[in-house]
Amino acid sequence: MLGVNPKKIYIIAKKEFMDNIRSKWILLISVIFIILTIVSAYVAGGSTDEVFGGVEATVVSLMSIYVVLIPLIAIMLGFSTIAGEAEAGSLSVVLSYPIKRVEVLLGKFLGLGSVLAVTPIIGFGFSGLVIVAVIGAEEGLAFLAFIALAIVLGLIYLSLIMCISALAKTRVRAIAGGVALFFWSMIYGMIVMALYIGTGGDIQGFVTGQVVYPEWLFATTVVSPGDLNSMAVMKAFGINQAMGVSVEPPGWMTMPFLLIIQLLWIIIPLFLAYYFFKKRDI
Amino acid sequence: MATKTIMCPTCKHQLTIEGKPGERKYITCDNCNTRGVFTFPIYKPVAKAETGPSAIEVKNLTKRYKDLTAVDNLSFNVKKGEIYGLLGPNGAGKSTTIKAILDLIKIDTGAIKINGFDIKQNGVEAKNSVGYLPERIAFYNNLTPIQTMNFFCELWGVDKSIAKSLIKEVGLEEATNRKVGTFSKGMVQLLGVAQVQIGNPPVFILDEPMGGLDARWVKAIRERIIALNEKGATILFSSHILSEVEAVCDRVAIINKGKLIAEDTIENLNKYLKIKPRLEITIPGLNGKIPDVIKGIAGIEAIDVKKDTIFVTCESSVRSKVITTLEGAGYKIDNIKTVEPSLEEAFVKLISAKEGA
Repeated sequence: MLGVNPKKIYIIAKKEFMDNIRSKWILLISVIFIILTIVSAYVAGGSTDEVFGGVEATVVSLMSIYVVLIPLIAIMLGFSTIAGEAEAGSLSVVLSYPIKRVEVLLGKFLGLGSVLAVTPIIGFGFSGLVIVAVIGAEEGLAFLAFIALAIVLGLIYLSLIMCISALAKTRVRAIAGGVALFFWSMIYGMIVMALYIGTGGDIQGFVTGQVVYPEWLFATTVVSPGDLNSMAVMKAFGINQAMGVSVEPPGWMTMPFLLIIQLLWIIIPLFLAYYFFKKRDI
Repeated sequence: MATKTIMCPTCKHQLTIEGKPGERKYITCDNCNTRGVFTFPIYKPVAKAETGPSAIEVKNLTKRYKDLTAVDNLSFNVKKGEIYGLLGPNGAGKSTTIKAILDLIKIDTGAIKINGFDIKQNGVEAKNSVGYLPERIAFYNNLTPIQTMNFFCELWGVDKSIAKSLIKEVGLEEATNRKVGTFSKGMVQLLGVAQVQIGNPPVFILDEPMGGLDARWVKAIRERIIALNEKGATILFSSHILSEVEAVCDRVAIINKGKLIAEDTIENLNKYLKIKPRLEITIPGLNGKIPDVIKGIAGIEAIDVKKDTIFVTCESSVRSKVITTLEGAGYKIDNIKTVEPSLEEAFVKLISAKEGA
């Protein structure tokens, strides 16, 4: 992967950004995202005297939206980027130019990542501005951390879908891979919870909201980027309740640990994507 | 524009006609009203193709897909300045060969050089001298042609100011502000032709550039290929449209099932195969019957008839005897045409010879 030309990476990234920022699907889902964000911020304020809720209340409300929509946007953006372009013929033209495959891959990741970042920046940014106006600048700054974590989640899924796209022989297979990735992410938490209950977990505690989760349950979040990201958000904002149940992560689950694991979730699939892309016949 | 003097096969009257290389001209004799067709040749001197350094060298190339050997120990050289045709039926291994040349696929064995640079060792340097138009081309649906061309200009490292002129050159200036996603297949192909010229590369690799296009686009692309070659570019051009290869290429490699069957100039291939020109004589009222008088003429290799037209394959020295014999027997000849052997005939003969071997 050595000897990359940053200028060529930038050229690919710019093209990816220009092409995808105009995609009707991405535009549509981003508008939905922005509307839901504003509504959530408003609903979060319902329990207080303010029109819009404070940072913590808003974050809890927004988390449930973004763990679904951000992976969805990332998958929609990335599934076709290698498999689809190889099938259509545009990738063979690009690769016939004096450019390395690693430069193409990194350019695509950065370009699509930039498109992905636009949605939470606009959506959450708007809520952030409202919060700053209503509550104060300090809380607004804290909201920036939330936006950054939302982008990290998007980059994780982008990296994963690019890996699938590099491996899939056809566009259709890449779509299937993307759908499988999305649904797996959505049901993973339920599977873990079913395991917890099935192995004698405290059902009664759910009713009272006083469950003491075993440590292994927290450890399983390491292999679930969505849950991992949610843990990081909760940690960052000192939130210790999820769906009315108190959550107390173990001591080893520190913020740096959560960030490093998320970083690995970006790097490892991207490295695998490069491996598959390098080997791939275009 | 070329000028050619030809002789009427019926009355021996000499006619002077004008046309462009490759143009088919319908002629009526001023003297006897015999009608015929003449195609202006566009073959280039063979010497250009056979001498000089190689622009593309392919040595012992083999590519396998599981149990299928798509390209089997293929070797050929494309000399600088020539138009080299890669000809074969669908699935012959043409596109695989081209993709291997550009390092778009991993090969099992072999060595490939472009302008002296090994595609594996010095991929970036090798690709610095190539413009590629793939068989199935696509660009980015949400970008305009200008944005698309600007992107490729940046990638090549050349000034973006050429984008507009190249778009104009291929006749897409009216679609400059439209998204490429709204283009027809022909327009996308023309944008591909504009794209391939970015950086003015000395070598062009065109994979089925006219595949699936209507006559208007085919003509435009053929003219562009000839123009590029006239400026000194080397062109490797794959096709299964035999007439296009015949009209454009200096030399041809015929491949089938991944193997090289023949490699030569079109003229030499025809000579090698001894495919003779065919005489087509139209006599009203024949109704599918071959006149007995010509059946015994020595030197005739084959006679066939379709409605009022007789097809005679023979040496040129025998042609006049056939005509005079028919006229002497009272047959009223309406039209005479000599059809040169086509590459298709050479192609079919070569493949069947190879398969029969």
